[in-house]
Amino acid sequence: MSSQPDGGRAAARTLEPEIESPGFHVAHHFDSADTQFDSGRMGVWIFLVTEILFFGGMFCAYAVFRSWYYDAFKEAHHHLDKVMGAINTVVLICSSLTMALGVRSAQRSKRKLTAAMLAATILFACVFLVIKYFEYSHKFAEGLLPGAYFTAEGFKTGTDAGVFFANYFMMTGVHGLHVIVGMGLITWVLLRARRGEFSGRYYAPVEGAGLYWHLVDLIWIYLFPLLYLIG
Amino acid sequence: MDANDAKDHGHESGARGGDHVPHIVPFRAYLFVWLALLALTGITVFVSYFDFGKANIVIALLVATVKASLVAAIFMHLFYDKKFNAIILSFSVIFLVIMIGFTMFDTNYRGENDAIEGVRPRDYTAPFIKGVPDVRVPQAAAKEPEKPAATPVH
Repeated sequence: MSSQPDGGRAAARTLEPEIESPGFHVAHHFDSADTQFDSGRMGVWIFLVTEILFFGGMFCAYAVFRSWYYDAFKEAHHHLDKVMGAINTVVLICSSLTMALGVRSAQRSKRKLTAAMLAATILFACVFLVIKYFEYSHKFAEGLLPGAYFTAEGFKTGTDAGVFFANYFMMTGVHGLHVIVGMGLITWVLLRARRGEFSGRYYAPVEGAGLYWHLVDLIWIYLFPLLYLIG
Repeated sequence: MDANDAKDHGHESGARGGDHVPHIVPFRAYLFVWLALLALTGITVFVSYFDFGKANIVIALLVATVKASLVAAIFMHLFYDKKFNAIILSFSVIFLVIMIGFTMFDTNYRGENDAIEGVRPRDYTAPFIKGVPDVRVPQAAAKEPEKPAATPVH
């Protein structure tokens, strides 16, 4: 306020709306709030690149094993429930929508709506994990397990199907871990949102958690057809 | 067009440029992208009930890439961001294509040389001995190319 010519006395005389996100300030090494926000967002994007390459290694393994054990992959993938997979895809897409709307309402300084959208995202993530649980427990019961633990009977390709399930459990398992971590991140952001920390002036953590969550959805968008639909 | 097109709202926050003004995506954009994603999911599942042979994986990946582009452009805001963020993402895709592509080159064409290399295995301790035929050209080995001037003119 002391930067104003009258030392802020004019503001003190009138009714000023309270400063949004009072705890926020621009760090001294940034020349503007825009620079700080842009550099934070770019940092998250670089992290997302590492995540893409992380899953990329597993997609590479999938590609190699699929070329080596093509028949086993074709036979084994029919034992995955397409319907549950499709429902999970829809659930994650809806969670992406609520997350994006959560970022939007934080930008518009709508505190209650932000909290509601973030809570809805966490709820969708829970639904995803519950469906995953049912899928996994069904696999365990039928002996459709990875690699050396594969004990299911009646496969024309014998125990080669274990290679497919090794890929399946590794990729969906690590993805599931990312969902859980994402839920933790969004919970943290939700708690801060409920305290009223976010507004049009400062919403970077919501944006960052949103970017991470959209990436989790992105990876599932590729996992679903490759594992469930075409084997 | 990015968040730097800021009008100073008079909230002097101590930063010289004034507050960061968020770029707010219209609600309809989010709604349309959500509906498009659901539709594309339906298409993916529907198409999977038909067998196009080798094209199966191409179609599946194409639809998935369209969905991913929608999520990245609108939900993740890339369409409205500084272009550099999109460049960062495309670099990861390029590196992924190189990694998976070259790995598949390696694994798909392994063993192709075995028939030729088995005919006359090269002595790797002395690979370029004068007079030893090139084992990669078995026909030339039969024609004895180490006597180039010996062919008489008829």
